[in-house]
Amino acid sequence: MWNGRKILSYTFLVCLAIAIFSPFLVIFVKSIGKGWFGKLWLPPTLTLDWYKWAINVAHLPEVMKNTIIIVAMAVAMSTLIGIFSGWAFGRRHLPGKEVMMSMILLPRMIPPITYALGIARIFYGLNLINTHFGIALAHVTLCAPYAILVMSATFEGLDDRMLEAASVCGANPFRTFFHVTLPQIMPGILSSMIFTFTTSYNEFTLTLMTYGPDTLTLPIRTYLAVGEGYWEVTSAMSVIMVLPSLLILFLIQRQVKPEQLVGGFKGL
Amino acid sequence: MSEWMIELKGTTKRYGTLIANDRIDLQVPRGELLTLLGPSGCGKTTAMRCITGHQKPDEGRVLIDGQDVTDLPTHKRDLGMVFQNFALFPHMTVHENVDFPLMIRNLPHTEREQRVKDALRLVRMDELARRYPRQLSGGQQQRVGLARALVYRPRVMLLDEPLSNLDAKLREEMRFEIKELVTQLHMTAVYVTHDQGEALALSDRVAVMNAGRIQQIGTPRDIFEQPNSLFVADFIGLSDFIKARVETVEGGSAWVAVKGLRVRVETHLQLRAGQDVTLFIRPTRVELLESTAPDGDNIFPARVVKLTYLGDNIDYRVVLPGDWEIRVQTNGQQYLPAGSAIKVKLPPKHCHVIAEQAAPATPGSP
Repeated sequence: MWNGRKILSYTFLVCLAIAIFSPFLVIFVKSIGKGWFGKLWLPPTLTLDWYKWAINVAHLPEVMKNTIIIVAMAVAMSTLIGIFSGWAFGRRHLPGKEVMMSMILLPRMIPPITYALGIARIFYGLNLINTHFGIALAHVTLCAPYAILVMSATFEGLDDRMLEAASVCGANPFRTFFHVTLPQIMPGILSSMIFTFTTSYNEFTLTLMTYGPDTLTLPIRTYLAVGEGYWEVTSAMSVIMVLPSLLILFLIQRQVKPEQLVGGFKGL
Repeated sequence: MSEWMIELKGTTKRYGTLIANDRIDLQVPRGELLTLLGPSGCGKTTAMRCITGHQKPDEGRVLIDGQDVTDLPTHKRDLGMVFQNFALFPHMTVHENVDFPLMIRNLPHTEREQRVKDALRLVRMDELARRYPRQLSGGQQQRVGLARALVYRPRVMLLDEPLSNLDAKLREEMRFEIKELVTQLHMTAVYVTHDQGEALALSDRVAVMNAGRIQQIGTPRDIFEQPNSLFVADFIGLSDFIKARVETVEGGSAWVAVKGLRVRVETHLQLRAGQDVTLFIRPTRVELLESTAPDGDNIFPARVVKLTYLGDNIDYRVVLPGDWEIRVQTNGQQYLPAGSAIKVKLPPKHCHVIAEQAAPATPGSP
């Protein structure tokens, strides 16, 4: 059943896959190869040395720890902001709702470097430079809009009658929230957390302007290694950096149904 | 133990300048199924939400079983409620949905299992207990809604247009199911609907609401046969309205003049000669006679001008002398082509007068 149309579409898909994955493949091969220069298709010897270097010389565990702390703080803060603002946007009649929505989206419209410079200026004054909290706070400016949008849509989709039904059934507001509201906004919270995680984890510009020696994150450390000229070590770091993202992607596909994620965006 | 299961004492609810409920007084005796009937925006839903506690009246008190619950939050009122959009919890199975009120009440596990089973059997949903609401049809979802409302045997059952989201045939079936369930379980129920057919079929008593007030309250028969106002007569069933003037009054009946004809009406209203009234008669109560039929009270010559064949019945437009056009519905057996000369009889006991003038736009008025 290999008719022309099918061959054509498979060829297209394979080309697309190569185009998307080739940069990553190059980096991956570079990170496990020794003496891979010039015109060779594959490296002559394979090695894990570069990973050892990345861990021992570039202090990757320390960097990873910083990254996790900052990401966790940014995700927690953004999600909390998202839940409370989302409740207000989605459930309450707010005067000037549209204006406020566009204000919230503003940080995403301004070029990151401009925004980062302003944040750096303020943070120097507040002694927030080179602190985990400060960097997380900077990330929140980018993460929170996502969280608010997703949670607003989630709360808008929540049926009032359902909450009323719970109260008629005898549930007090606390138990209504715990048994009825929470399970129903869970997909929203989850997709909000995934988006804020990837935003914060990959964030470069804002971190570059607010980091210090004690708060190196993975993207910054990788960038610095490029400057130091160690291509192989840099490649190893990049590969390590991809792993959590892949893990998340795997978890999403296993645990969350795609329509639940998309459902969170209804009405955007 | 109070005589009334539910009592509203002068409850008033305003939204800004709009008065949704205007001094509502209502008593529902134990075991009665009362319907709040009215067009949308008449305040029936607000009245019910005052009973459930989802709205707090600005004035007046709400009593359930003699206890003043005006300031009591919904979850402490011990009610059961069925919603128009079913309002099932989508993340729970049928079984979990019905179990929810029992779980909230911290009942022992074995009792919960038994009660859920009983309730689901009662609504014939026991075989679908493992399904999720989204896997059920509308009618099945509403059965689950009913089971969830009655599983903890609440004192009062509230039904907010529970059949409006179902298709016509199912709606008709479920009317009787609901009535049977409520009667069988000796529950006091308040049913809100805008569907007069539903209200008449289900209720022990009907309260017709309009513009925030109760217009008339009575048995379905009272409401249909003895409407106390133009609004009620117009809202319930078909009617032809026409302006009339009282000529003479004698005991339980009166003669009124309509377009030069004298019509005898039976009425218990206190009428006086010369008074302007509105005469109305239900199209199904008019009798069509042969043109050769003997004359008598309320028998007039007429001509068929139009007919619409509806299967179960035929809808005629007939013109009486003085260009008085009335609508008549008969069973399909009597077929009279357009143009036929006939006689009509307006039985005096089915001719009603209301001491109100019909608004100019009311059908049948000149």
